[in-house]
Amino acid sequence: MNNSISRFLLAFVGFAGITLSLTAASPNLGSVLPRGAQRGTEVEVTFTGARLEDAKELLFYKKGIETTKLTPVNANQFKATLKVEPNADLGEYGVRVRTATGISELRTFYVGALPVIQEKEPNSEFSTPQKIDMNVTVHGVVSNEDADYFLVEAKKGQRISAEVEGMRLGTTVFDPFVAIINMKRFELNSRDDAPMTLQDCFASIVAPEDGTYVILVRESAYGGNGNCYYRLHVGNFPRPTGVYPTGGQAGQELEVTFLGDPAGSFKQKIKLPTVADPDYRVFAQDAGGICPSGIKFSISNHPNAFEVEPNDTPATANAVAFPAAFNGVIEKVGDVDCFKFHGVKGAFDVRCIARKQGSPLDPIMTLSLAGAGNVASNDDSGGPDSYFRVNLDDKDYLLTISDHLKKGGPDYTYRVEFTPVQGSTFVQIPKVAQYSQERQVISVPKGNRFATLMTVQRRDLAGDLKLIAENLPAGISMHVDPILNGIDSMAVVFEASPQANIGGNLAEIKALPADTNVPCKTEFHTNAELTFGNPGQSIYWRFNMSKLGIAVTEESPYSIEVIEPKAPLVQNGSVKIKVVAKRKEGFKGAINVIPVYNAPGIGTVSSITIPENQNEGFFTMNANGNAQARKWKTSLLANAATPGGTVWVSSQLFSIEIAPPFVAAKLERVAVEQGKSGEIVCKLTNNTPFEGDGKIELVGLPPKVVVKSMDFKNDTKEVVFKVEVDPASPIGNHKNIVCAATVHKSGEEVAHTLGRTEIRIDPPAAPKVTANAPMQNATEKPATPNAPEKRLSRLEKLRLEQEEREKSQKTEPKK
Amino acid sequence: MNSNSMFTFGASLLMLAGSFVSANTLTNIAVFPPEVNIQTNRGMQRVLVQASFDDGITEDVTSKAKITISDPKVAKLENGIVRPVSDGKCTIDVSYEGKTTKIPLDVKQAQADRPISFKLDVMPIFMRTGCNQGGCHGAARGKDGFRLSLFGFDPDGDHYRLTRELNGRRINLAIPEESLLVEKGAGKVPHTGGQKFAVGDQYFNEIIRWLDAGAPVDSASIATPLSIDVYPNKVVMNGKGSTQQIVVRAKYSDGSERDVTSLSLFMSNNDSSAKISPDGLVTAGDRGEAFIMARFHTFTVGSQFIVLPKDLKFNFPQSQEKNYIDTLVNAKLKNLRITPSEVCSDEAFLRRVYVDLNGILPTVEEFQKFMANKAPNKREQLVEELLAKKEFAEMWVLKWAELLQIRSSNDVSYKSTLLYYNWLQDRIARNVPFNQWVQELLGASGGTFKNPATNYYQNERDILKVTENVAQVFMGMRIQCAQCHNHPFDRWTMDDYYGFAAFFCQIGRKGTDDPRELTVFNSGNGEVRHPVGNRVMAPKFLGGSTADVAGKDRRQVMANWLASPENPYFATNLSNIVWAHFFGIGIINEVDDVRVSNPASNQELLNEMGKKFTEYNYDFKKLVRDICNSNTYQRSTKANESNDSDLKNFSHAYIRRIKAETFLDCISQVTETKNKFPGLPLGARAVQIADGQVSNYFLTTFGRATRESVCSCEVKLEPTLSQSLHLLNGDATTQRINQGNLVGRLLKEKKAPEEILNEIYIRCLSRLPSADEKKKVLALVTAETDKKRALDDAFWAVLNTREFMFNH
Repeated sequence: MNNSISRFLLAFVGFAGITLSLTAASPNLGSVLPRGAQRGTEVEVTFTGARLEDAKELLFYKKGIETTKLTPVNANQFKATLKVEPNADLGEYGVRVRTATGISELRTFYVGALPVIQEKEPNSEFSTPQKIDMNVTVHGVVSNEDADYFLVEAKKGQRISAEVEGMRLGTTVFDPFVAIINMKRFELNSRDDAPMTLQDCFASIVAPEDGTYVILVRESAYGGNGNCYYRLHVGNFPRPTGVYPTGGQAGQELEVTFLGDPAGSFKQKIKLPTVADPDYRVFAQDAGGICPSGIKFSISNHPNAFEVEPNDTPATANAVAFPAAFNGVIEKVGDVDCFKFHGVKGAFDVRCIARKQGSPLDPIMTLSLAGAGNVASNDDSGGPDSYFRVNLDDKDYLLTISDHLKKGGPDYTYRVEFTPVQGSTFVQIPKVAQYSQERQVISVPKGNRFATLMTVQRRDLAGDLKLIAENLPAGISMHVDPILNGIDSMAVVFEASPQANIGGNLAEIKALPADTNVPCKTEFHTNAELTFGNPGQSIYWRFNMSKLGIAVTEESPYSIEVIEPKAPLVQNGSVKIKVVAKRKEGFKGAINVIPVYNAPGIGTVSSITIPENQNEGFFTMNANGNAQARKWKTSLLANAATPGGTVWVSSQLFSIEIAPPFVAAKLERVAVEQGKSGEIVCKLTNNTPFEGDGKIELVGLPPKVVVKSMDFKNDTKEVVFKVEVDPASPIGNHKNIVCAATVHKSGEEVAHTLGRTEIRIDPPAAPKVTANAPMQNATEKPATPNAPEKRLSRLEKLRLEQEEREKSQKTEPKK
Repeated sequence: MNSNSMFTFGASLLMLAGSFVSANTLTNIAVFPPEVNIQTNRGMQRVLVQASFDDGITEDVTSKAKITISDPKVAKLENGIVRPVSDGKCTIDVSYEGKTTKIPLDVKQAQADRPISFKLDVMPIFMRTGCNQGGCHGAARGKDGFRLSLFGFDPDGDHYRLTRELNGRRINLAIPEESLLVEKGAGKVPHTGGQKFAVGDQYFNEIIRWLDAGAPVDSASIATPLSIDVYPNKVVMNGKGSTQQIVVRAKYSDGSERDVTSLSLFMSNNDSSAKISPDGLVTAGDRGEAFIMARFHTFTVGSQFIVLPKDLKFNFPQSQEKNYIDTLVNAKLKNLRITPSEVCSDEAFLRRVYVDLNGILPTVEEFQKFMANKAPNKREQLVEELLAKKEFAEMWVLKWAELLQIRSSNDVSYKSTLLYYNWLQDRIARNVPFNQWVQELLGASGGTFKNPATNYYQNERDILKVTENVAQVFMGMRIQCAQCHNHPFDRWTMDDYYGFAAFFCQIGRKGTDDPRELTVFNSGNGEVRHPVGNRVMAPKFLGGSTADVAGKDRRQVMANWLASPENPYFATNLSNIVWAHFFGIGIINEVDDVRVSNPASNQELLNEMGKKFTEYNYDFKKLVRDICNSNTYQRSTKANESNDSDLKNFSHAYIRRIKAETFLDCISQVTETKNKFPGLPLGARAVQIADGQVSNYFLTTFGRATRESVCSCEVKLEPTLSQSLHLLNGDATTQRINQGNLVGRLLKEKKAPEEILNEIYIRCLSRLPSADEKKKVLALVTAETDKKRALDDAFWAVLNTREFMFNH
């Protein structure tokens, strides 16, 4: 899985003095044609897309293919001469194009064992087939309702196998069908889909007599279009439908049986790698050749145990020494396989692996205590396969496997693996757009930065993590905050030094516990969703990658920097972050700035634009009341249109401190008649001292209502807003009047939102009946000398008014 | 009844034209019900006397006959109604015009009073007086604030609403006569529904009796009605104005019997021939056939009425009967005094059978070969030939693809649709017995790609919809009504509905490797609950018994029953579908509207066809052979005086518009042009379109089924203006004539205009032009210098004839 990078063009790396007009953005890669090659040969392959004129190298995700020559054709196309090693793995190779300015999307390329020839029309009728030699790979295309017929010769007893790579090529949604037909037009073998090849297909027969045979390839529902490329392998190679067992112990040499070949099952010895590899496959091979597709084969740490029929009932269950990997075949309709074993204490992930490796079996797996009830049972938690987690005890257990539809057959193989539960982390770059590969790779202009959001999923693991990057291109460094417990997303900034050489690499990204004593498996995952379609944009083919493509690219015409705020961002407050753009001479364009990541409780504007020819912008960030008070780091991304396309850079990783509000306020409400004035009392509490005077104001006032802003100090306990209501101010209850305060810290503004209040505007009241006596009474009340006049709340005023009314009513009869 | 062989068709017409004075003789008298059992002092039974005459006419002679009770101590007779006197057994003796007969009479508990029952006495009043109809209080939201269950499906709920809702204000137990229920019903206070009964009548008294008793709720053990009988069950009325009283008797689970004539609702399916009064008196109208139905509780039972012109004399012409179909059709025609049309010409037969069996027209060569064939059984030979062609299978794949709703959608991929269609095609092409593939279909499990039959459960995923579809397609039953209430015009109750739905509630569906594929399996759990009372319903065959489904796939149990002789509806329904294809209408019409109130026009024929179909091991080809070889199928479309108005007894062939797909294929065939449909190669026939979603303007205009529902009404065969305009102006005629260049080719082959005209006529109409047609057209051709244009015009005119558009 080590990346192979052709560095034949590194000579260009030192090329300096890049002018603006040469600057291009990340390339697009649309197609790679032909879709594959024979191993041990050198072929010319055309790469088509956009902005490919400065292609520098091809980044393959697997070794075995070397680029010997790159010839630009035009801005959107170049040709590459690829040398495929004679022992290169068969099958799919992921590839990206690295240009001077970025890394392209991923596309795939296939390696086969047979010489490649081109399909030639007219071959759309049974009567006009294309004659081909045995043991070739036909590179063809199925247009709408097209059928491609090929004629081969075979001797009696010779195997004729045909396998189509269609959907697997990841070009478009293309579901092929293949049939081997005799000259009397009888179908001898045909297949549409197969569990092992999904929508792709294969057919295989042993020739019943000397003569010619026709092979038909078409779309399974008579569809097709100009993009429905296929690679049809026709030859004498074996084409089994399964293998048994479907896994083995790491490093072990074992004999496997290939099942379902028309010439009969046959055995083959294989040596397994010493390290588990989720993509490991075994290839059936005999004198007739090698099967174009390998069968996924599981490598585990435990020895194999095999079922022995009859084992359909608990009474006849096969005894297995635990731990082991359980292997079996649901051989016939209604078959049930039972195993018994003595457990060891511990938590295990139990997986029944069948469909994942191309077995037709849809397993149902049940674990029970011997002679007692079920411990766990599952049908489909592992896709069509079964999965559950159990805590085993030092007891006897019974493991049962059957097919969900009670079907069975000689190739209905399965394997059950018990894996002790261990902590693990899973790192990803979330997709920015659905079905897109946009910003899934890192292109860092020299002397500049690029940031991305990464997420870490913890499984059976707690505690702080650290993110590690290995095998980064020289001159690139990665900046990221430590990943504290409870945090699962973070901004990661990659920075290329001005001296970094232009070049690319596939780096490994790991999230490991800060405490190095904690065992942990870590995995980085990204995928390219190559084909999708109905229903509901389902993904038909994707390429999974465990490495991250990173490149140092040519200099960008601009860079941005954030002036890190010294003052904190308070809860329920906001901060304006200053972004400074540095432009190279000649670059005047507008620069858009977007956030990379916001911590929980933090919001930002979706983007700001630093206009043409300007170098500054302010990026507003706000925090809600629940934002955790802590320091965290983030970055801002920027993109700008250049003559060569959009160029992305980022700011440095900068800190933001989230703090509790400096000031808290308690606001009263007020009811004022039109044309009068009232007061809103605001009680203040100071939590954190600030510098100088603060300013407090009400915003969102109704029309024609005036409330002046006020200054306050650290020790101010109360401010009273005077509310001036115009006779024309609208009657009603005006809610959502916000009290905002600004204080200063470290010379910077700290904006607060302190709460809300309401102003009720009433129509002018009818003239009151003045009651002199009570008023006199009121004035007669002994007043405490020098005490500040007590300000009445709205409620108190209403009570007072009511009291006055009542008193005046009582006094009236006396008159 | 058989006519003399010497009478020819024309002669029988003459006979029909005249009307002679009746000289029929009484052959028999019958008394209904055939025995009288009366319980309690409230028991009573109306008796009827029906006289039958040698010409098949029947007459209600109850008032004319002498009816006596052999032991007056047991019962007495008042106005034709037997009432109890004391316990005992005796006979009711009847004599009329010298004929005598007697029926047994049994009186029990003559001194006991039958206690009032809400379900047995009050609920039937709501039905009879229309209170619980959909337009009144039976509406889903009731009427004017008061709701009753529609047609009384929930008596307990009705009792609650009457006695407890609005704090029981609807009844007044202290003064029952002043109950709102009574006052409204009797029209004493304003009532939107008007007066439903009168103070002091039977209904009024029963309700008052119930209220007097304290408006009790019935005990759980109260008897339930088991069945009803309607008498007389076959009536042939002699002329307009003659009358016949109907009597309805119900049998209960406690063994008792009641005369429920006054509590039954009566309907006629043909008011112009036989109209029935609310009290059950049928009055004859115009000549025709009517089905008189009585509805009581959940039962609807019918009686056949034939109305003949007064004292009609009729002799059935001698008619060759090729097989059981002819025998049974003729038997019905004899009953109706209808003379069938003659057998059609060879030309008409040839075209008819080609269109019906293969969906194409005979070629010129095929026409000439058939016409030249002198063999007496050449029609049988032709039927055999056509049955063996792949086009025959394709016609029926199309038919079943419509009923199985083979159609792609957002959820169902085209690939799935194609695989499903191919699966069906394979079954029909291999002539797999119907019951086998239906069982395979309905019990299917697995992936929709791997086992395409499972698509049946992908297309429709709603349990109740699946239930309804299965009943409608395979049994011809529309049970939708019973989802919410007992079926108003059929036997189906909510219990039947949800009992049948219980077969479909354990269908598991899950995804698989391919996003387009769905795996259908038996999930083994899930139940259907009755909406009234929420009880779990045990799976029960529709119209059958409860099924043993323990440990089995319920769908398979259902499928095995459904497509078997145990299911009385399967074979007859399929036979009816096959029949309707050849006659344009079913013996029960519509074919998917089998219900008590929509009786078969010839039940004996339908039964026999069902029986034969079962005997043929569900090989429908044999059934088709029987139909096509019968004289009934081969009759001319030309009607005679007696069968002119007959549209359902197959006395003559009916003119049928050719179905959209077949018609387009015929146009393509005669114009020698090719069609292009998505997903099919150029030149494919319209009947081969797998996907209901695929259509074109022509097919849509001519009523191609969209397969959005299982309804037989999806295929539209009504002629419309846009069809005519399309044929006149659209690309189906002129452009195709130009494109195919048939006339040009024939002219190039140096054929004379007359030969070309003959060829056009044979191609399109399977006949030569008549002398008149030939003369007129050739005159026009001669006058025109551009022969091709003139003949193209003639070709266009032929394509625009009604004769071309219809199968006749």
